Amino acid sequence: MRRLLAFASFLLLLALLFVWLWESRQPEAIELIPVISGQPEYCLTCHADLPEISASHPIKTFGCVSCHGGERLALDADLAHSSMRGGANPSDLSVVEASCGGSACHSGSEADQRDHIQRVTTSIQSTYAGAIASIRYTFGAQPSLTPIFGIYAVTDEDSKTGVASLLAFDPSRETNPSIKKFAENCLTCHINAAPREGEAYARQTGCAACHSIGEHKLSTAIPYTQCNACHNRGNYDLRAMTFVERADHPTKRVEDYYQPIAQFTRCEYTLDCIDCHTRAEAMGDGDLHANQKDIQYTQCKTCHGTLTELPLTKTLTDPNDIAFRMAQLNPIVNLQLGDTILVTETGEPLWNTRVLPDGTYEMIGKATSQYFAFRPVMGSGCTQNGADQSSAYCHECHAVER
Amino acid sequence: MTQPSRRDFLKLVRAGLLYLSGALAIGGLLRFLDYDAHPAPKTEFDLGLASDFPLGSRTLLADPPAVLLHTQSGFSALSLVCTHLGCAVEPSADGFACPCHGSRFDAAGGVLRGPAQKSLPALRVELTADGRLLLHTD
Repeated sequence: MRRLLAFASFLLLLALLFVWLWESRQPEAIELIPVISGQPEYCLTCHADLPEISASHPIKTFGCVSCHGGERLALDADLAHSSMRGGANPSDLSVVEASCGGSACHSGSEADQRDHIQRVTTSIQSTYAGAIASIRYTFGAQPSLTPIFGIYAVTDEDSKTGVASLLAFDPSRETNPSIKKFAENCLTCHINAAPREGEAYARQTGCAACHSIGEHKLSTAIPYTQCNACHNRGNYDLRAMTFVERADHPTKRVEDYYQPIAQFTRCEYTLDCIDCHTRAEAMGDGDLHANQKDIQYTQCKTCHGTLTELPLTKTLTDPNDIAFRMAQLNPIVNLQLGDTILVTETGEPLWNTRVLPDGTYEMIGKATSQYFAFRPVMGSGCTQNGADQSSAYCHECHAVER
Repeated sequence: MTQPSRRDFLKLVRAGLLYLSGALAIGGLLRFLDYDAHPAPKTEFDLGLASDFPLGSRTLLADPPAVLLHTQSGFSALSLVCTHLGCAVEPSADGFACPCHGSRFDAAGGVLRGPAQKSLPALRVELTADGRLLLHTD
């Protein structure tokens, strides 16, 4: 009995020695108790060198786990990462509600314009509903252009467009080879789908597809290069029904655009896409749409007006105007109550513009902070027909040589 | 004095190892049981001597984020934790501004601009018998 006790004692000491050695080789745990959860987490033990993701998500307030998930108390990497949402990308649309949602965060109400997740998940950028409908209609698989399918199933309980829901598109149920080819080549191009393999297709999914502009960095100052990650990859060859990846690496921006016959004005290749295109156009307006054209509405006249009408303006009188929130997130301009800015036809603020005392306008690049002066069409030498406002008409005179 | 036999020596070593391993095991067990994964947040903060905060002073505190005021009515404090999502607000021309999402508060903590919906809460300040100030955040 005594021998057994001594042996057990020896084994226990050995085990304790092993634990002590193992613990001494572990990094010293760094504890963080974020304000939002009040619960300790140890992610910084290994990730203290990561930069703050954005000014709106300071680590002292949010920590890591409230967005990324994971095992907050674990010091072992595999265990700590085992329950992370979306792998390294918590904004993937499959997990975005758990990661970024909440009424005070990104799934608030339409009234307070915090319904980002509802807008993105119903947007044409995510559903691809218009293209799917167009192809199926073209090849006789459906009777009209009204969308039936999206890349995933989604419902809009408060539809204002007549499209209340989409079914998940299942290419295996299609019989037409052209539709199958389209499904094979094109369904990976939207932000709810994982991209195809290869450097040419590298992008993230969900919110990060647009807003992640560097390692662990979220921003609303999105440069055109980020948009190009999807919108400048090549072109679709309708004869071969296949996507032709561009092989060149252009260095001049005016040549960075993929359609060789397309024309561009100086604005279009000098400004960043988000300087003109609004959040509703890029992220959706909360409704399911049948086509890109239903949601993309900014035209040259939005900023320049027409021969008979000046562009729409608005003087900021409400301190809760969303223009202030947007300027807060991307502080390129110090907006003040009483400032007059341009607004779009639907009332979205072009918060990076201002009306100058001499009746001309100024735009500050959202990604570049550059100042651009511009004039209204009214009073200029322009002879354009007021009813012809698509860009092709403006390009007639204002396109640059490529 | 007789020399201890080899058997006695081994007995002594065995007993020593037994007691040592028992003590270490109990120590490890206590350490395990003592670990608190959900520690209660600190709610009382000693700010030091009240005399260090003269009448008319307005002192920004870092931990916890708060501003301590000493007026004719006595000591009072205002939390500087934004009521939207909990970022620390900073002094601005019109009161306080949240650097995270742009909420603005006047000098008394009232909301000037969202997304915050609630005013910055007042915190209780206690003056102890020995002249020290305690700030309570609960």
